[in-house]
Amino acid sequence: MGDDADGPVDEKVGPLGPSIEDESSDDQGVSRRKLLAGSVGIMGGAIAAGIGVPAVFYVAGPSQEQQVAQEWVRLGSVTSVDSAEPTLMKATIERRAGYLTTTEEFSVFVTTENGTDFVALSNVCTHLGCRVRWVEEQSGFFCPCHNAVFNRDGSVATGPPPRPLDSFETKVEDGQIFIKGV
Amino acid sequence: MATKLGDWMDDRTGWRTHHATIFLRKIPKINWSYTLGSATLFTMFIQIVTGILLTLYYVPEPQQAYASVSYITNELPFGWLIRGLHHWGASAMVLLVVLHMVRVIIYGAYKYPREFTWITGVALLLLTFAFGFTGYLLPWDQRAYWATVVGTQIGEVTPVVGDTLRAVMLGGEEISGLTLTRFYGAHVWVLPSLLLLLVGIHIFLVIRNGITSVPKRGE
Ligand code: HEM
Ligand code: FES
Repeated sequence: MGDDADGPVDEKVGPLGPSIEDESSDDQGVSRRKLLAGSVGIMGGAIAAGIGVPAVFYVAGPSQEQQVAQEWVRLGSVTSVDSAEPTLMKATIERRAGYLTTTEEFSVFVTTENGTDFVALSNVCTHLGCRVRWVEEQSGFFCPCHNAVFNRDGSVATGPPPRPLDSFETKVEDGQIFIKGV
Repeated sequence: MATKLGDWMDDRTGWRTHHATIFLRKIPKINWSYTLGSATLFTMFIQIVTGILLTLYYVPEPQQAYASVSYITNELPFGWLIRGLHHWGASAMVLLVVLHMVRVIIYGAYKYPREFTWITGVALLLLTFAFGFTGYLLPWDQRAYWATVVGTQIGEVTPVVGDTLRAVMLGGEEISGLTLTRFYGAHVWVLPSLLLLLVGIHIFLVIRNGITSVPKRGE
């Protein structure tokens, strides 16, 4: 190392530099080259980690954000819920994705046995996410995608869904039904 | 085990020879100013990594550009770091590439047989400036807007083709959403492709011709 490149070409070494054989031809324990290569490796690793670790948080960032601003979402008046069959109620929610806020229509089935206690069921099939609809004749929620049927309480009657329809916590205030956890 | 895999690979790729050609090549006795090209190269890699990360959130659209940039800077975890690195890295790269060129001039390293290395270097210098110019518009704030007004009016004073040149740069008579998308396209696709190609040729030539030694008195 540090040889004069203008000098005659060393036969063993050749014009392109030393061959690999004499790489460790050093009598000390660690050669200068090994030490340098090692420190370059360590510094490079540190720099890569210095960018790489923050980058993971940066990429994962939005997945950790609270997307729906409201905690309780108002569905409508208690009087609009039919006690005979599940009532599909619509609500609009504001969904935040990064710096953009969009309003989204959103539906849930509300059932009641006595007009005071309400159950709110998601209309999203727990199999692969199609929308279910209430079919009176079958007295169940039918999913057209793979012919699943859920019972009135949301439990699976037949078909591939792995779990009952999701349900939301409900509350009634001033005659209005609210749900939580959209 | 590792050497066995290395042998297997070497047999099929000859990587040991390539590695030796690139990293174990002989160099004359030189000084720290010879690291400026490598420093530029390193900065380029930082710019590539942080730039790609920025494209995950940046939106080159007039309504969203500024909002997406401020979302990156103020809300995303470490967004300030990624953007800050890209921002300061851009200035650092311009500075380093100029210093590198000054080193080459001072040592007369552009002479035979390195004239073509120099020519690719000039293209790299212009590309680096073009990166700075196109990137500056992207945050879409007042500073970005007026810098582009000024920059394109400088282009306009070009004899004969000036007006056309400015209109082509802007994609119209005035700065608009079309200007933003074409600057973005240039900044993330056109310029990086050219840069990588030219850096490849440049480094190939540096290795193939060897590095100059520090000139002696009277040389
Ligand atoms: C993106 C920009 C550039 C990169 C990444 C780059 C990279 C490099 C590297 C790694 C070297 C090895 C020696 C050293 O580091 O000094 C080098 C040498 C060289 N560069 Fe550049 N360079 C760039 C721009 C330029 C510019 C703008 C010029 C001049 C107009 C130039 C002209 C040269 C010449 C003539 C050599 C050979 C020097 C010698 O043999 O001593 N380069 N370049
Ligand atoms: S998605 Fe509903 S059954 Fe498959």
